Amino acid sequence: MAIINQATKELQVKIVYYGPAMGGKTTNLVQVHDHVQTTAGNKGKLVSLATSSDRTLFFDFLPIEAMTIKGFKTKFQLYTVPGQVIYNTTRQLVLRGVDGIVFVADSQFEKMPENVESFQNLMDNLAAQKLNLSEIPYVLQYNKRDLPNAAPIEYMDFLLNNREVQVPAFAGTAHKCEGVFESLNMITRMLLQKFINQPVPQYA
Amino acid sequence: MATLPQLIEADVRLFDEALTEFIGQTGAIGALVIDKGGFLLTHVGNLGDLDLTTLGALASGAFMASQTMAGLVNEKNFNSTYQQGEKFSLYILEVDEQCLLAIIFGAEAGLGLVKYYSSNAASRIAQQLAIAQKRDPANGFDLSALNVADSQALFRRKTI
Repeated sequence: MAIINQATKELQVKIVYYGPAMGGKTTNLVQVHDHVQTTAGNKGKLVSLATSSDRTLFFDFLPIEAMTIKGFKTKFQLYTVPGQVIYNTTRQLVLRGVDGIVFVADSQFEKMPENVESFQNLMDNLAAQKLNLSEIPYVLQYNKRDLPNAAPIEYMDFLLNNREVQVPAFAGTAHKCEGVFESLNMITRMLLQKFINQPVPQYA
Repeated sequence: MATLPQLIEADVRLFDEALTEFIGQTGAIGALVIDKGGFLLTHVGNLGDLDLTTLGALASGAFMASQTMAGLVNEKNFNSTYQQGEKFSLYILEVDEQCLLAIIFGAEAGLGLVKYYSSNAASRIAQQLAIAQKRDPANGFDLSALNVADSQALFRRKTI
């Protein structure tokens, strides 16, 4: 859970981009880094711990200071997880202390099994930390909508957004920055709404 | 999972006192208290332009990876990591279930000295965290002034 530091007047929030390999998680962070409007000094460096072939090995990390709420600085820390199946332990580490999740799904028809598997893996990894997806704000981003073999949105909703409570889902083409800010702003909004509904905050 | 308590000024002041004393004892360059999720809580020392936010995230990741390796070899006592450099070294030790202490020190400061005094600093920080944990966080965090319906204002895309 988020850290609220009354001494330094800071609220620190951790958002993790989750999803199958090569689905566009890192691209989301790159686009946020490249295109976000911030005042000087409020955007940190984008750090990527990646292999030589630019596949995320540990995580990507982007700190952004977005706004002030009643005198509090709000620091958002955006992480991606490595999508490859073999890096599950690493995904568990990155999920530690997570406040909100953007699940980046690959819209290509042939990637549907990987999307479903990754979503199940997310729930399993949260459960390993005694967390439940129903307690954590998350949004879905159906990425790569520009590809000719993209599955219909309704089909992706059926596969990934068919739970008791439907969550916001966004069509995205991350490399063109489409859907990127929509997803980020929605998860942020849901997170802050959660804090408002929790008069006595919980901490990580 | 246990949670990090809400920290008030007195908590952070004590952390800073413990770290300042530690730096005086060892000559270390700087010391950071980091949450295991990667958040920087406080820091003391002559750290100049270092990107401490990123350092905190990476230190946490490195430590947690090391602890996971410990689990794989059935070792329960991987409670610190040490990276030695030519000019600077980094020592990270566990404060409690939630926090880490990361210390940057120069070649002239011995690891033994850092290890010896850091355990005392970590212990003081852990005690204060325990106090904070017991404290009733009645003085909550009021976000009522925020219009969350307008969160598009939070992150805006640059216009080209």
